[in-house]
Amino acid sequence: MSTIKEYLTTDHRHCDELFASMEEVASTSLQAAKEITEKFIDASERHFQMEERVMFAEFEQKTGMTQGPTAMMRQEHEQMRGLLKQLLDAIEENNKDKFFGTTETLMILLQQHNMKEEQMLYTMAQQHLSAESDRIVEMMDSMIVE
Amino acid sequence: MELTGLSTDQAPPISAPLRFFLTAPIFAILAGILILLSDSATLFSRYSIDSIIITHAMTIGFLGFVMLGALMQMLPVLAGVKIYKVETITLYSHIMLVFGVLFMIYGLYFSAPSINLLATIFLVIGFLILLIPMLIALRGANNFTPTVKAINVSLIFAVISIIIGGYLLFGYASGTVSSTHLILANIHSVWAVFGFVGILIIGVAFQVIPMFYVAPRFKQFCKQRVVHIISAGLLVWAFLNIFYPEYAYIAKTWISLFFFAFTSAVWVKLNNRRRPTSDVTVWYWRISSIFMSIGFFAWIFNSYLDDQYTVIISVIIGGGFFLSIMIGMLYKIIPFLVWFHLNSRGYMSIPTMNEMTNKKISILQFILYLFSIIGFIFSYFYPSILVYSALSFILSMVLLQYNIIKPVLVYVKTIKTKPDFDMSAFNMKVE
Repeated sequence: MSTIKEYLTTDHRHCDELFASMEEVASTSLQAAKEITEKFIDASERHFQMEERVMFAEFEQKTGMTQGPTAMMRQEHEQMRGLLKQLLDAIEENNKDKFFGTTETLMILLQQHNMKEEQMLYTMAQQHLSAESDRIVEMMDSMIVE
Repeated sequence: MELTGLSTDQAPPISAPLRFFLTAPIFAILAGILILLSDSATLFSRYSIDSIIITHAMTIGFLGFVMLGALMQMLPVLAGVKIYKVETITLYSHIMLVFGVLFMIYGLYFSAPSINLLATIFLVIGFLILLIPMLIALRGANNFTPTVKAINVSLIFAVISIIIGGYLLFGYASGTVSSTHLILANIHSVWAVFGFVGILIIGVAFQVIPMFYVAPRFKQFCKQRVVHIISAGLLVWAFLNIFYPEYAYIAKTWISLFFFAFTSAVWVKLNNRRRPTSDVTVWYWRISSIFMSIGFFAWIFNSYLDDQYTVIISVIIGGGFFLSIMIGMLYKIIPFLVWFHLNSRGYMSIPTMNEMTNKKISILQFILYLFSIIGFIFSYFYPSILVYSALSFILSMVLLQYNIIKPVLVYVKTIKTKPDFDMSAFNMKVE
C-alpha cells in the first residue's frame, strides 16, 4: 500500500491531469467543458476533504498543532473553493476571459499549495503518522464526500 | 523535528518582494539611457568603464533585484523556511542596494574614489544582509529537494561573486587596481552569471515548469546531477583560468554543454505540456532557450577569437537568456501576489490575474524587447542601429513598468476603498 505522501501526491497529479483536460476542452467551447469542469471540481473537493477530514485531523490530534501548517492549508482550500465556484459562474455566463483568468490564478494558487504540501506537510505527516499510515490511506480511499 | 515548517505568517508581507520588483525596470531604463549616451566602440570594449557601468545597472539593478524579490517569495514555498525578520532586512537591503548601484554608476562615471568606496560598502552589505539570512534559513529545510539544493548552491556562488565584486570595486576606490584584477573580474562575472543566476534558474525550473504548465517532469539524472556537474565545471574553469588559461575552453565547453542540455529539456517539456495556454511567459521561456543555446556556443568559440566578442555574448546570455526569464516571471508573479494577498484578506470580487495586466501592451513590450536585443547584437557590426535598439529597449522597459504597476494599483485601490468585504468564501462548499 502506498504511503500517505505517495497517495496524496498521486492524487494531486490526477487533479492536474483533469485540470489540463478541462482547459483543453474549454479552449474550444466553454459549454462543452461543463462536464469535465464539474469532474475536476469534484476531484478537488474530494482531495480537500480527504485531507481536512482524515489526514489533517489525524495530524492535528497526534501533534497537537491546530494552528500550524494544517490551518494554513485549510485556509488555502477555502480560497480555491472560491475560485472553483467562479469557474462554473464563468461557464454559466459563457465568459471565456473570466474562465481562463480564473484558471490562471487557480493554477498558481494550486501549485504553490501543492509544493508546500508535497515538500513539507506530507513529509511531516509521514514522519508523525508512519505507524498508522495504512489505516489513514484506507480511510481516505474509502471516504465519502460530504 | 522542526515543526515551524509552515505557518500562516510565513509568507513575507507583499511589500517585501514588490519593493524589489518595482524598482527593477527603473534601473533597466537607466541602463538604456546610459547606452544612448555612449557609443558603440566604447561599449563593445569589455573593460571600458561605460560597459562596466551599464552591465551592473542591468545585472544588479534588474536581474539582481528581480531574483532577490523572487527568492524571498519562493523560499517559504519551495523550501518551507522562514527568513529571519524578513520585513526589516528587505527594507534596509533594498535601500542600500538602490544607493549602492547609483553610487557605483556615479563613482565610476566621474571617477570619484570616495563615491566608489560608498558604493562598495552599500552593495556588499546590501546583498549580504539578505543572502546570509537566506542561507541560514535554508539550513532549516526539512526536505532537501533538488530545487532546494540548487538554490543553496546558487546562493553560495552569489556570496563569493559579491565579495570578489566588492574587492574589484574597492580597487577603483583606492586606486589600486592590482595585477590580479582581470582574473578576478573574470571569475566574478562567470560565477555570478552561471553560478548564481544560471543555477538558480535551473533549480526553480525543475519545480515550476512541470507544475505550472502540467508538463512532464525532469529526469532524475537531470535533477540530481546537473547542478553538481555545472558547479564542478565552474570550479575547474576558475582553476584553469588562473593557472592554465589556454585550457579554460575545456571547462567552458563542459559548462555550456550541460546548460544546453538543460534548455533543450525545457524546450521539450514545454512542447509536451498539457496546458494549451500560450501566453507571453511561454514565449519568454522559448526565446530564452534559443538565446541561451546560441550564447553558449558563441562563448566557447569566442575563446578561439581572442575574446573579442565577449560583450556580444554577454548581451546574448545576459539579455537574451536571463532577462527574458525574469520578465516572463514578473508577468505572473506580481498579479498572483496581488490576488493572493487581497484574497487572503477576505476580498472576493477582485479582478482575475489576466485582467490585472494589459495583454496587448505585454505583447508590444515583448516585441520591442526582442527587437532591442537583436539590435544590440548587430550594432557591433552596424553601429548606427545602436540608438534605435536602445530606444526600443527603453520603451519596452517603460511598458513593463506600466504593466507591473497596474496590478499594484489594483491592490492599493482595493485596500483603500474596501469594495465588498464579504466572508462568504470562508463557509462556502462546492457540492
